[in-house]
Amino acid sequence: MSHPNLASIFNKDEKRVDWHDKALWFVRHKRDRSVHNVKGWESLRELGHGIKAHTLSNIDNYLIQFEVNALNNGVQVHWAANAEEHNQIVHKILKKNNAKKVVKSKSMLTEECHLNPYLEADGIEVIDTDLGERIVQLAKEPPSHVVLPAIHKDRHQVDELFQEHLGTEPCDGDPQYLTAEARKHLREKFIQADVAITGVNFAVAETGGFVVCTNEGNADMGAHLAPVHIACMGVEKIIPKQEHLGVFLRLLARSATGQPITTYSSHFKKPRKGAKMHIVIVDNGRSEQLSRPDFRASLHCIRCGACMNTCPIYRRSGGHSYDYTIPGPIGSILSPGKDLKKYSTLPFASTLCGSCSDVCPVKIDIHSQLYKWRQIITKNTPQPFIKKKSMKVMGQIFAKPSQFEKIGKVARWSLRNLPKSFINSKPNAWGKARDLPKGPKQSFDDWHKQREDNKLKNK
Amino acid sequence: MANRDTILASLKANKPKLIDLPFIDAAVFDEQLDLAAEFTKILEVVGGNVVAVSNDDEIASHLQNSFSELPIKYSTIDESYGSIDLETIANPKDLENLDVLVLESTIAVAENGAIWLADKNLPIRVLPFITKHLAIIISKKDIVPYMHQAYTKLNNTESDDYGVFISGPSKTADIEQSLVIGAHGALSLTVYLKG
Ligand code: SF4
Repeated sequence: MSHPNLASIFNKDEKRVDWHDKALWFVRHKRDRSVHNVKGWESLRELGHGIKAHTLSNIDNYLIQFEVNALNNGVQVHWAANAEEHNQIVHKILKKNNAKKVVKSKSMLTEECHLNPYLEADGIEVIDTDLGERIVQLAKEPPSHVVLPAIHKDRHQVDELFQEHLGTEPCDGDPQYLTAEARKHLREKFIQADVAITGVNFAVAETGGFVVCTNEGNADMGAHLAPVHIACMGVEKIIPKQEHLGVFLRLLARSATGQPITTYSSHFKKPRKGAKMHIVIVDNGRSEQLSRPDFRASLHCIRCGACMNTCPIYRRSGGHSYDYTIPGPIGSILSPGKDLKKYSTLPFASTLCGSCSDVCPVKIDIHSQLYKWRQIITKNTPQPFIKKKSMKVMGQIFAKPSQFEKIGKVARWSLRNLPKSFINSKPNAWGKARDLPKGPKQSFDDWHKQREDNKLKNK
Repeated sequence: MANRDTILASLKANKPKLIDLPFIDAAVFDEQLDLAAEFTKILEVVGGNVVAVSNDDEIASHLQNSFSELPIKYSTIDESYGSIDLETIANPKDLENLDVLVLESTIAVAENGAIWLADKNLPIRVLPFITKHLAIIISKKDIVPYMHQAYTKLNNTESDDYGVFISGPSKTADIEQSLVIGAHGALSLTVYLKG
């Protein structure tokens, strides 16, 4: 389904949309307050951008360096060209270790690869341990935001889900009680797990280590208790040196939630005594995105979610309306590279206001990339008849000033005099949920001319 | 190995011309912070509890008063404080009932209240996560202003096999954005600031 169709489903519950809109805008505000406290924030963003741009320009060598160091650290390294291979590799490791129970901390990559259903098909239990992810897992839904996976759910829905699946008491959606119950439920899962899977926020070529950031402590609870730890990373997670973490850890949490840093920033290098550690490095379309000069900067993304929180379209259409693992502005520039046809409406789900590019901690030119995808999509995919025709007519009108003048006059008169039922009739999408303004008597041109004339007169 | 080579080859073929690596000039960010004051302020904002102390006796008596009812304790500083022997812990899972854990750190960061704990001062990795209450002792002189200086310090010491920056108790806001302290990790964090 297209973005407008999915968005209109989300828009059925107006109160919910208002809440969603305000809640995310509040997170954006927290981000602002937090970054304004950092001296040199813009230089920090420049550094983030520069380090990522450099890394991509030497990415193969950094990955090789990373692999050498990781192997020296006693970690096993695997490579997957696509989602299918990623799932097979993880599955094989589980089989080898006779694993039946898996705990997983947040990893958008494993969502992208649809790892859970793949493993569940073989009778393996996979439990998402981030609270928000557990909520959407119980609801059998994908996350709707990269940092706040259950932001589309209200407390009463969580209450009901927990009653049904965890046997909790009805509590009128008390977050304190519900979180405490989730802690108990997941504690048991951590203790029983045979394997822990985590994502990777940053992988350091220089040390062969990697960093995972959480607020809940779920990645560490999983990785330090289970005998086997599998970390899954996209190739673009690599950074050259440990000192670069100083830049990215300062940028990440402030941009995401306004926190000065996440509660836990865990640096894994060697497995603990008696335990095993695996890293799966995944391409799945990333090297192809790297080949597109206009779009390769999308690989800088550190998944902070700031572009979602600030986006007027995302806030009012919800993450699920994008129908892609990564929603929002960044998802809309990543997804067309994967499937131009399927995601052809996403680059249009934007006002091109540029707010996403302004908040992005690694300075991705998100809104220009949206615009560039539009050019490609319009050329390469069939456009609706009305849109094509009206664009053509508009083009002709704008091409001739005298004609534009005449039509403008008619339009202004119509807006003043024709009945609303006619102005807001079906073909006019703009009249759907709002009234058009009353047409002014004068055009801007007339007004400007008059003003200049008056100036001359008054001299 | 076939995958590895194909992936690396296509990355190599598709990457742009080499772009310079920028130099991090930490001086750009310097605001001449009052390190102990900033660290205390931020750590309290993120839900931690900071106690200024001048000697070890004060730590001992504060611990005594705060957690007197809780039976299962461990300290890497003061053997007599602990009620369990880590030697008898065959599996990290056996730490499930730990109430109070006391550790020491040598790096803390003023700008975000983060404290570095690593294998060196962490006999079992899961300890600071599985404990209900976490207390960390740190000296004022070990506070650095920003993450940049923290990594400079880490680069100058022998590299750790595992280490974590902890800033506050574990938390979540995944239910309607309302903040709840105590997700999967420690329910509380107390920091003793010496000196
Ligand atoms: S594109 Fe930028 S703002 Fe959006 S999630 Fe990625 S890093 Fe954050």
